[in-house]
Amino acid sequence: MLNLLRLFAAEDKGPAIHIAPGEIFKIGDISITNSMIYGWACALFILVLFVTVRHGATLRPKRGLIQFVEAGVEFIISLITNSLGSREKAIKYAPYFAAIFFYVLLNNWFGLLPGVGEAVRVGETPLLRAFTADLNGTLAAAIVTMVLVQTFAIKESGILRHIRHYFSGSLKNPATYLFGALEVFTEFTRIISLALRLFLNVVIGEIIISVFAYLGSGAAPLTSLPFVALELMVAMLQAYIFVMLSVTYLAVAIKHDHADEHASNDHESVPEESVPSGKGQMVKEN
Amino acid sequence: MFFAELTGDVEILGKGMMMGLGMIGPAIGIGLVGNAFINAVGRNPEAAKFLGQALVIIGIIELLALLVFASLFII
Repeated sequence: MLNLLRLFAAEDKGPAIHIAPGEIFKIGDISITNSMIYGWACALFILVLFVTVRHGATLRPKRGLIQFVEAGVEFIISLITNSLGSREKAIKYAPYFAAIFFYVLLNNWFGLLPGVGEAVRVGETPLLRAFTADLNGTLAAAIVTMVLVQTFAIKESGILRHIRHYFSGSLKNPATYLFGALEVFTEFTRIISLALRLFLNVVIGEIIISVFAYLGSGAAPLTSLPFVALELMVAMLQAYIFVMLSVTYLAVAIKHDHADEHASNDHESVPEESVPSGKGQMVKEN
Repeated sequence: MFFAELTGDVEILGKGMMMGLGMIGPAIGIGLVGNAFINAVGRNPEAAKFLGQALVIIGIIELLALLVFASLFII
């Protein structure tokens, strides 16, 4: 029993802290890291889960695994409805956002399972590592998200109007180009901030757990348990924030033309418009 | 200079000061968000539905605190 406990607190060398993923083996020039392996495993799991659930989905609610997935998807749809303003649009855009929500959520949660990390090793490097605890992984997720947001926005309003929405105002005014360039630059900082937020939250959670497991030595499970519980909550929150922010970016990219069309309209649309525009301001301050 | 002689290790002092000073800003920021949210709910209980947005703003601020924490392992 004591030997098993010592596994958690890598003895004497201080807490086991890895910021970067470890390389397991190489295929040609491409190194396969532990986070990639676990990311693929999670992707496969989610694929199997969704395909199984799809066959079982009916109008009448069922018990079991389906409930979990249905609740998650419904949550995402209502979240998008709040941001975009209509349920049809929400259902149109839901597939990607639901997928990224479940992917981030399950990757975060699976990263906390026992056996992931220091317990099982290949040589010096741990065999498994949460995909979101790897900057490459979260950067990929953020880039895919922002590219899709741009694609959706271009599909929604046409490429010229989409570009025009960055350079809003009179085209003869040089300030328009200055602010437009700044807006375009903001899109790139959004990628970085999305990726860094998710990565740092997950990896620092792991570091804190490992530090407290080290401090507890013999009683490692007891001392690190509260932080594992905290991380369970943070994982959920981060998945929510990731989806919420990307939906908000989409709403900001799509919304502008509508605001221009209805700007001179009557006051009936004011209560509806006021909520998304508030979100727009929030994001610009980011 | 005095501290350097005392501990013999300026790196640890630097890390400690970085954590302490760097966390001040995000702490104040998150406090302000919480203050505004509680105030809003106190004035108008309907505003409780904006908890999600408050959390998102906290997430944005938290990034700065996390950057400070992550720098501990880089410097």
